[in-house]
Amino acid sequence: MSETKALRITNKVKGLSHLLTINRRKGTLLMIFSALFFFTGIILMSLFIGDERLATNFDAKNLPPSFMNPFGTDWLGRDMFARTMKGLSLSIFIGLIASCASVLVALLLGLTAALMGKVVDSIISWFIDLFLGVPHLVALILISFTLGGGVKGVIIGVAVTHWPSLARVIRAEVMQLRSAEFVLVSRQMGKGPWWIATHHILPHLIPQLLVGFVLLFPHAILHEAAITFLGFGLSPHQPAIGIILSESMKYLATGLWWLAFFPGLCLLIIVRAFDMLGDNLRLLIDPHNAHD
Amino acid sequence: MLKKSLSYITILAIALTTLLLTGCSNDNSKKITTMATENKKELILAIGSEPDEGFDPTTGWGRYGSPLFQSTLLKRNNDMEIVKDLATEYSVSDDGLVWTVTIRDDVKFSDSTSLTAHDVVFTYQTAQESSSVVDLTVMDRVEALDDYTVQFTLKKPQSTFVNLLVTLGIVPKDSYSSDYGQNPIGSGPFKFVQWDKGQQLIVEANPEYYGAKPYFEKLTFLYLSEETAFAAARAGQVDVAAIVPAFANQQVPGMRLLALESVDNRGIMFPYTMEGNKTEEGHPIGNAVTSDLAIRKAINVAIDREALVEGILNGYGSPAYSVSDKMPWWNPDTVIQDGNLEEAKKILADGQWEDRDGDGIVEKGSLKAEFTLIYSASDNTRQSLAIAVADQLKQIGIKVNVEGKSWDEIKKQMHSNAVVFGWGSHDPLEMYHLYHSKYRGVSWYNTGYYANDLVDKYLDKALTAKDEETANQYWQKAQWDGSTGFSAKGDAPWAWLVNHNHLYLVKENLYMGQQKIQPHGHGWPLTDNIEAWRWEN
Repeated sequence: MSETKALRITNKVKGLSHLLTINRRKGTLLMIFSALFFFTGIILMSLFIGDERLATNFDAKNLPPSFMNPFGTDWLGRDMFARTMKGLSLSIFIGLIASCASVLVALLLGLTAALMGKVVDSIISWFIDLFLGVPHLVALILISFTLGGGVKGVIIGVAVTHWPSLARVIRAEVMQLRSAEFVLVSRQMGKGPWWIATHHILPHLIPQLLVGFVLLFPHAILHEAAITFLGFGLSPHQPAIGIILSESMKYLATGLWWLAFFPGLCLLIIVRAFDMLGDNLRLLIDPHNAHD
Repeated sequence: MLKKSLSYITILAIALTTLLLTGCSNDNSKKITTMATENKKELILAIGSEPDEGFDPTTGWGRYGSPLFQSTLLKRNNDMEIVKDLATEYSVSDDGLVWTVTIRDDVKFSDSTSLTAHDVVFTYQTAQESSSVVDLTVMDRVEALDDYTVQFTLKKPQSTFVNLLVTLGIVPKDSYSSDYGQNPIGSGPFKFVQWDKGQQLIVEANPEYYGAKPYFEKLTFLYLSEETAFAAARAGQVDVAAIVPAFANQQVPGMRLLALESVDNRGIMFPYTMEGNKTEEGHPIGNAVTSDLAIRKAINVAIDREALVEGILNGYGSPAYSVSDKMPWWNPDTVIQDGNLEEAKKILADGQWEDRDGDGIVEKGSLKAEFTLIYSASDNTRQSLAIAVADQLKQIGIKVNVEGKSWDEIKKQMHSNAVVFGWGSHDPLEMYHLYHSKYRGVSWYNTGYYANDLVDKYLDKALTAKDEETANQYWQKAQWDGSTGFSAKGDAPWAWLVNHNHLYLVKENLYMGQQKIQPHGHGWPLTDNIEAWRWEN
C-alpha cells in the first residue's frame, strides 16, 4: 500500500517535473511567443490609447511617474506612456515595412546574382559591396532627405538600405544549392529551371529569409530612432522614439529624467526582444540546429 | 554579433548617464556657493547667439540694440524717448525731406582717429550700397556740410527715418575695409579684442569713449547653446546667462533670475486671400479656410493667451494682442477679451460655420474648418505654442494640423498656410512691413497677402508724418480706428499669442541698471546700458 503510494507520488513528481522541465525546443517556443505577445501588446496599446492622452494639459505638466502616468508627463502635460507606445508602434511599423522590402530586394538580387551568369553576378556583387561600404546612417540620411523627409522619407530610406548583407547570404546559399547533387540529378531528369527554382531552391531559402527578416527588425528600428533623433524626417511633435529621446535631452538639466529613461528603456527592450526572437527562430527552423 | 552588443552597450550607457547626470546635478550645485566676486572688473556673459555676418553696422549689426563697438547719432532712453548720442543737435525741415544733424567734435574711434561728419556720410552711403537688411532706399543723398554737420535728403518724408539714426553705428572711413565685420573699430563704449568664431568674443573698455565710462573693463561673450549656458551658470562659470523658460524655475545658488519684458512676440499669421494664385517662384498663395474673417476672429477670441503664458512660458511673458504691445505707437484698444469659447462659437455660427455631420469640426457648405499650422522645427517654444493652440481650437470645432518645418520649407508654404512667426521691434516701420499691401509676399513680411485700402492709407500717413507724435496717431489708427484696422478687432490677419520675457540668470550682486522693453532677438539688447552695470554690495 505504502509502496504503491510512494510509487504514485514519484510518478506524479516525475510527471510534474516533466511538465516543468522545459526542453530547448519548448524554451525557444516560449521565447518566441512571449516576444510576439509583447509586440502585439504594444501595437494594441497604441491603438487603444486615444489622442486625448496626447493632448496638452498644462495642469499636469512635468509630473514624475505615478500610477496615473506610469512614465510621467512632459512639459506640455502630455502623457509619456501614450507617447512612448505610439512612438514604439510607429517604430515597429517602420521596421516591418523596411524588413519586408529588404527581404524582397535581397531575395531578388540574391537569386539573379546566383542564377543569371557571371556578368550579372559581378554587377550585383559590386552593388552589394558599394552599399556595405557607405556608412549606413549617411546613406539613410541622404535618401530620406532627398525624398523630402516625413514618414515617407524615413520609411523608404530605412527600407532600401538594409538589404545588402542578406542579399549576400542568399546569393551564397543559392550558388551552393545550384551545384548540390539533388539539383544536378533533377536537371539531368529534364526538369526546367523554373521547376528547380520553386521546388528545390526556394524551400531552402525560406528559413534564411524568415530569420533574416526578423534580424533586420532591430536594425531598422534603431536606425529609424537614430535618424529621427538627428532631426531628419519626422516633424518634431510627432511621437517617434528618436524624437522623444532627442527632445528629452533639453530637459535633462532640469531633472526630468523620466522623459529619457522610460522611452530609452522601452527601445532597448524591444530591440533585444526582436533579437531574441530572431535567434530562437533560427534555432528552431535552421536544419543544422533544429534537432539540438 | 559584436556590432549588436555594441549598440546595446551604447543605449545602456546613455540610459545610465542620464540617471547619473540628473542624480548628481543636485549635489554639485550645492557645493558651488557664491564665488567671491570682489572687485573683479571682468564679466563673462552667455547671452545669445553670435552674428554670422560679423559686427558691421552697415550690413545689419546692432539693428536690434546697442552696437557696443560703434556709437549712433541718436539713441532711445529707458522710456523709449529719443535722446542725443553722437549728435548735439538735429532738425527736420518743414517738408520733412531734409534732416540736419550736428555731431560732437570731441569723439575719437578706438584707434585714436577723430570721428567727423565724413565718417557719418561714409557709413550711410556704404549701408545704402550694401543693400542688406538696413533699408536706406528712402534716402536720396547724404552730405557733410562741414566737419561736424551732416545733411540727409530724403526722397519723400519718412517719420521712421529717425530709427536709422538710432540704430546705425558709425564706422571709420579711413580704416573701413571688406573684413571690417571681423575686426570692427568704432567709437562705442567697448573695443574689439578677439573673436573665436563659434566660441567667444572678447572686448575691452574703449579708453577713447566720450560717454560715461563703463565700470567693467573687460567682457567675454561665450556662445553657448541654451542647455550649456544653463549648465555653465550652475557651475558658476558665467556672470550672466540667457535661459529658456523651461529652466526658469530652477534655483541656482548665487544667481538671481532677471525677467525682462519684451515686445519679442509670437503669433500666427493667416493667409488672407482665397487660394488659387501663385507667387513668381510658383509657391501657392491663399487658403480657403483662413481667408474667412469669421474663422480668424473666432480663433483670436478662442485662444486663451493667459494659459499659454502660464503653461508654456512658465508665466514669464504676457499675452500679446498686437505686434507692438506697450510701444509708443501701440493702440491699447487692440486688447480683446480672449479665452472665450462661447463668443468664438457664436462668431463661427454667425459666419455660417456649423457642425452638421457631427464629427466635431464645423463646416461652411462643403468646406471643413481645417488648416495646417507650420512652425519652425528647431524652435521648441513655437512648437509648444502650435500644439497648445491646436488643442485649444479643437474645442470650437476648428481642426488645426500642426507641422514642423525648416525655414527653407516654410518659405515655400508660408503664403498658403498659417505659420507661427515672431516679430517685435523698437521701430514702427516693422508694422508697415507686416501690414501694408505694398509688402505682400515681399521677403518674410506680409506673407499672408493682407490688404486693406484704409489701413494702407493710415500706414502711409504715419510713415510720411513729420513728427513722431502725429505718426504714432496714425500707427494707432491703422490698428483700430473704431471700425476697421489690422488688429484682432478689425480684419484679424494675425492671431498674436504671447510676448515672451527675456530670461537671464544673473550673479546676485550684479546691478544691471534699468532695462528697456526688449526687442526681438535675445542677448545683445541687454548690453545697451552697459555703462550702468556694476557690482553691488
